[in-house]
Amino acid sequence: MSFITQVLAALGWIAVAIAISPMLWLIFQPYCRGWSRAERRAADLLRDTLTPEQFRQLAWRGYLEVPSPTEPQRVYRVPRTKGYVQVIENGRAIMRLCVQPVECLPDADVVVLHKLMIEANEEGYLQKANKYVCVD
Amino acid sequence: MLRVMSRRGDDRVSWDRQKALAGDPEANAAIREAERIFAQERAKGATAFRVEPGKPTQRIERFDPTAEQIVMVPRVVGG
Repeated sequence: MSFITQVLAALGWIAVAIAISPMLWLIFQPYCRGWSRAERRAADLLRDTLTPEQFRQLAWRGYLEVPSPTEPQRVYRVPRTKGYVQVIENGRAIMRLCVQPVECLPDADVVVLHKLMIEANEEGYLQKANKYVCVD
Repeated sequence: MLRVMSRRGDDRVSWDRQKALAGDPEANAAIREAERIFAQERAKGATAFRVEPGKPTQRIERFDPTAEQIVMVPRVVGG
């Protein structure tokens, strides 16, 4: 008897899930479609902006290294997803930077943003960043 | 091409420099539209970069229709 009850309950839940799934899809579909399109476009810009070597580095290592245009021994390590930008000098992490756009952007766009700002506006980038000094 | 970063990925306006030089009205209209968007985004605090393959990235203050690609990033703040 209890087995039959359990089966009926399970069938009931399945029926409920089938009934509400189209409604859930209608509610969330625009967001899913919008986000994936935004991510696709951001990925296009990332591919257009990076060299093939930089793109491979980002894909395999999870970060992009951007050399400082002013300090030859300094490299900025930009993560693929949200997180701090590490400042590496002579192979050692000396600082972490937190800089973010005021508008919510896809992760790939944020990588491009860091790269462009470091390469063409390093001073302004460092002025805006919140800095966290790394202590051994 | 002008690419403006946004939550939608990036919005693009492109134009044909050769056609614009030849006085093509559509190409000139695209340039005017790109210039309008450029000014609007700059007023919101966006930064513009001239990005061309094989050349160093350059920050620009004024719209340049001869640029192959201009990328605009929104204002940034320390997090």
